[in-house]
Amino acid sequence: MPLPLYYFLAITAVNVLMAWALYLPYRVGHLHFITVANMAISGYTAAWLVMSLHVPFGWALLAGFALGGIVGYVVSLFIGDAPTFAVVIVGFTFIYITRTVIENLKAVGGTMGMFGLPNIAGDPAAHRWIILAILYGLLILVGFLIHRFDHSQLGRAASAVFVDKDLAASLGVDIRRLGMRLQTLSCTIAGGCGVLYGFIYKSFHLDFFTFALVGIAMTIIFVGGYATMWGSLILAPILYGVPLLFPPAIQSWRIVIYGALLILVLVLKPEGFFTRRFVYSLESFLSGTRKKRNTL
Amino acid sequence: MQVFIAQVINGLSLGSIYVLLVTGFNLLLLVAMIIHFSYPQVVVFSMYIVWVVLRATGNNLVLGILAGVVSSVAINLISAPLFQRVMKKRGEVDINSTMVLSMGIGMIITDVLSHTFNQGLPIAFPDSLASDAPILRLGLISVLTGQVWSLAVGIAAVSAFFLLLYRTRPGRAFRAIAEDPNGARLVGIPLLRTGLYSYALSGVLGGVIAVLLAMLLGSASPGLGEQVAHKVLAVSIIAGLGNLAGGLVVGLFLGILEAIVQGYVSGTWSDAIAFVIMLVVILARPKGLFGSKL
Amino acid sequence: MKKALGVVFAAALLLALVGCQQPAPKEWTIPFLNSLTGQIASIGEYLEWGAERAAKEINDAGGIKGKPVKVVGVDTALDPQKGSVEMARLVKDTLVALGPVPEPVIMAAMPIAVENGMPSITASTSLEYAQKYFPWTVSWLPSTEERLAPLVAAWAKQFPEMKQVVQFVEPYGPWPGMADAHVKGFEGMGLKVLDKVEVPTNAVTFGPLVVKALNEKPDGVVFACNPTATAKLIKELKSRGWKKMDHLLIFSSGDAPDLYATGGKDINGVEIYNYINPNVDNPRWNAFKDAYAAAHNGNQPPSLSTNYYDAVYMIKEAIEKTGVTGSPSKLKAERKLIADYMQNVKGFHGIMFDWDMKDGIPTNKPNFIFKIQDAKKILVQEVKG
Repeated sequence: MPLPLYYFLAITAVNVLMAWALYLPYRVGHLHFITVANMAISGYTAAWLVMSLHVPFGWALLAGFALGGIVGYVVSLFIGDAPTFAVVIVGFTFIYITRTVIENLKAVGGTMGMFGLPNIAGDPAAHRWIILAILYGLLILVGFLIHRFDHSQLGRAASAVFVDKDLAASLGVDIRRLGMRLQTLSCTIAGGCGVLYGFIYKSFHLDFFTFALVGIAMTIIFVGGYATMWGSLILAPILYGVPLLFPPAIQSWRIVIYGALLILVLVLKPEGFFTRRFVYSLESFLSGTRKKRNTL
Repeated sequence: MQVFIAQVINGLSLGSIYVLLVTGFNLLLLVAMIIHFSYPQVVVFSMYIVWVVLRATGNNLVLGILAGVVSSVAINLISAPLFQRVMKKRGEVDINSTMVLSMGIGMIITDVLSHTFNQGLPIAFPDSLASDAPILRLGLISVLTGQVWSLAVGIAAVSAFFLLLYRTRPGRAFRAIAEDPNGARLVGIPLLRTGLYSYALSGVLGGVIAVLLAMLLGSASPGLGEQVAHKVLAVSIIAGLGNLAGGLVVGLFLGILEAIVQGYVSGTWSDAIAFVIMLVVILARPKGLFGSKL
Repeated sequence: MKKALGVVFAAALLLALVGCQQPAPKEWTIPFLNSLTGQIASIGEYLEWGAERAAKEINDAGGIKGKPVKVVGVDTALDPQKGSVEMARLVKDTLVALGPVPEPVIMAAMPIAVENGMPSITASTSLEYAQKYFPWTVSWLPSTEERLAPLVAAWAKQFPEMKQVVQFVEPYGPWPGMADAHVKGFEGMGLKVLDKVEVPTNAVTFGPLVVKALNEKPDGVVFACNPTATAKLIKELKSRGWKKMDHLLIFSSGDAPDLYATGGKDINGVEIYNYINPNVDNPRWNAFKDAYAAAHNGNQPPSLSTNYYDAVYMIKEAIEKTGVTGSPSKLKAERKLIADYMQNVKGFHGIMFDWDMKDGIPTNKPNFIFKIQDAKKILVQEVKG
């Protein structure tokens, strides 16, 4: 597989997963920025397990997921049904704390970072295939889970909370429990992403996990469409890939173009490109076509 | 003791930056229901305009200040219709849409500043505006002109806007069109004109803040806005959204807290500790310490 | 039928042979993975300028082996995601590259260069980063501890009355390590090194940090933080009565345009160390200075601006001395030739001085201490290792 394609596919998968990690809590109106901190915590922990304790990658990855879930769960005990602003502050706090702790931890390289993470399978090509397989396996699994969630009672409850919290509560939705579940799942995904992100680069540096990642994930969600999962899936490769094709003169204005695109979409299509209505009509069209095919 | 007093003064100086920015942030919240996350970037842009005009006019302070105010008003008026369009329900704070929109504006401003002004290098303001000579120095205790002005104007701005918004007719009109445009129209408040005045007012404040920050900091860089944006948002949330007096208290408190942590604990832990304390506060009082005014 | 198959086979073989013996390209393309946008775009600009200046000079003198050289800026925007994809693109058919810049992108992208055996010169980072990617890069700097300990000792030696020193240290990349090397140098002199004052990366005001430092009553101060913070710290020190400006020492990473843009006259008299002496007098350097000033509003070239200038010349020398042809069919072998040559180049003629490389580490680069005066550096002393 061509190397640029590998990095494109791998990083796109991470961006989609991070956007979905943000999408889940946002279904109840929470901007859950702690996911970036989760990436760093789980990523560095897994790298340390592999480099210092020679733990096999598989176990380290599972540890990364578990750690993300634990952190997410513990935090959600306090902010499961907190106002959006509190959740935002929690995210900022964890990002600052995580960065400061890692800066001061010599065991994980401190400010220098961690170098030379080993190949998962001894051979660089095999390493890349395994990373891709795990990433896209995860993408399919998480995508399936989110799709089932969106079409379930829980998903409808989340939509109700998003639109009107008080009304949702009066209809019997346990907002706190729902918020906790979504936040825990979001952090679990982010933890695994963090581990895989570092093993894509085979190194870790604090500046891999900055507020800029939050910006990327938010752009993907809000431009792609925050009401469904499909917008993130379609937009992530476009947002990452298209600028790579720009000529240098335009590439230097990439950030301005991102900002302008964000503003334009918010103003013209506040729900993003892929609205719920569009997705439902597409689903109806496809199921209608399937029915016709089945009856023929 | 001398060290402690010096650190408290340092903290007040840092806190006055937060107070100024939070006041402008809260003003936009009160008159337009906007969470302008990138308000600090707008102020930094105005600082750059002040710098450009000062250089072009041989350090003419009056023209520089005027340019800062005009540029801030202009950006506010240009971005006003964008914010109005994205807000789903008028009369309610839509944190998500307005915050994301303002992030887009912030991205553009920061990148434009990196590309086009002074080849992306930091800018330094002339001594006539940003003198480092202290007006009082006693051992480690030092008070600069810029510090005194920033704190004084910060307190004055909070008081003035509080009086304007809650004790005058125009102020009530501003709040009315923000909270309930239809109701405001019914009672005869001219929406367009009043709305424009409210945005212009916050723009004037933004320009004044830009000049004060130039006096206090003496320099600016493209990333300066981003450096403080998280804290400005946090201060506003902790104090209570739209709470002017609360923003003053919490802003000064945060400045003093950071100064004490940097002075007695560790510089690199100051952000983390400050945010942990704010986190504890917000979990205990989700509507803010002094209650939201929205 | 058999005849037809034979003709087809022969044609295919001929095509394959022709493909294997692709002619060498008409010019030497050297991609430069650089941060041309984003927070350090101003640094990326002059790094690129230096590299392109070298390319221009080489082309004016007839190119490399008669073919022109072209430096192509590849923007990584300080983004590891972009840096990795761009490096992945390059490793397919690039002979040798420059960069990446800075450390986060190095960490994301250099493993790709190493895996594919492509040399890429990271001429703006410390040995501690570069050596992780040997032999596919070289270090532009010797060991931090070996270089810095005697350097700061030489600085402190100027002031026998100096008994204790405090450092402002920012937690970024190799800077804490450099601060630790300073400590070794001072302790070797019998100086007391007070607890370091940590400078947050996003600090806006510096009063609390300066009060903390001054409370320890230092006789000298060393700055291991970003140039803008350094300038502001110095201004703060001055406003609190610090008078002995030459008792302030800025480390080499602080020697950037931001320092002078922010510090202005307030940093006059402050001392700074670096391994580039802008006061040398030689035609190449004089021409470089004049060209830089003409392109940058009369400003002096920053110290890092010569790094990639020299790197391009080193590539030129490597190509000429190793017989590299640039032929795509010999890419792997020729990359190795260039990498091996640069690891142990002898008597390389840099724009300011000659130096050797031993196993990728420069062995005899000079170090200088300067005094800043009106944004210019005046030589105080040269420090031998």
